[in-house]
Amino acid sequence: MIEPRFDELIHPSTRLSIVALLAAADWIDFAFVRDRLELSDSALSKQFATLEDAGYIVVERPLANRRRRVRVRLTDSGRHAFDGHVAALHEIVASADPTAAT
Amino acid sequence: MTNSIGASDARSALTTVEYSRQQVIAEIDMPRWYWLGLAAGWIGMGVVTDFGPGWLALVAAPVFGATHAALAHRVLSGRRRSTQLSVRAELAGTHIPALVIGFLVGLVGVTIAAGLLLDADGARHPAVIASGIAAAAVAVGGPELMAAVRRRALRNPSL
Repeated sequence: MIEPRFDELIHPSTRLSIVALLAAADWIDFAFVRDRLELSDSALSKQFATLEDAGYIVVERPLANRRRRVRVRLTDSGRHAFDGHVAALHEIVASADPTAAT
Repeated sequence: MTNSIGASDARSALTTVEYSRQQVIAEIDMPRWYWLGLAAGWIGMGVVTDFGPGWLALVAAPVFGATHAALAHRVLSGRRRSTQLSVRAELAGTHIPALVIGFLVGLVGVTIAAGLLLDADGARHPAVIASGIAAAAVAVGGPELMAAVRRRALRNPSL
């Protein structure tokens, strides 16, 4: 059972998109997130830094084909926060329109 | 923490979440090289059967199977189409390898049945024709199979 918990850190649109992408994957390459969200490297790095500081994501730099990759994954804490946030969003929608509850 | 947004904002945020989920689901697939390589190998098997010595066909079948097993194990889950992400198993489902293997086993049966029928009908190169039919089914049906898996994942709101 997921406890609804609105998360101010996740909620801003860009961060919500990032965390939602990460929630659907085991890990995602930096470039994939950047291209899907059409962000600059620096803008995305800032968002990642915020989420990393909160303990919601882990940034890894594995060596692949002699190239340094940047992979990002959601931590258990981040997944818990995301699930709680989504549950809170559903709760808000349901409380406004009980017939629309999913 | 109490929330400070209205239902409209919440709906908009949920739409954002769903859109992100769809972007990852769109990555559930197998690399194109897998299907094309498999189709080419299938035709190669037919050519060897029709034109090669009998022993070569006997050797080629297990070599083909072993090569497939060696190359396919990393992509058969459908979660690693590209090197840019790994789709969560809960989202892709754990049934994809069984689905693909079942599809291929079915096509082996179709190839053998078609080859025998064509041979009985007096075709000059029954194995090549039968394997060509199967190769076309692999090249077209494989990606269609994965598209069906993606549609199923989209309908599953469990994530």
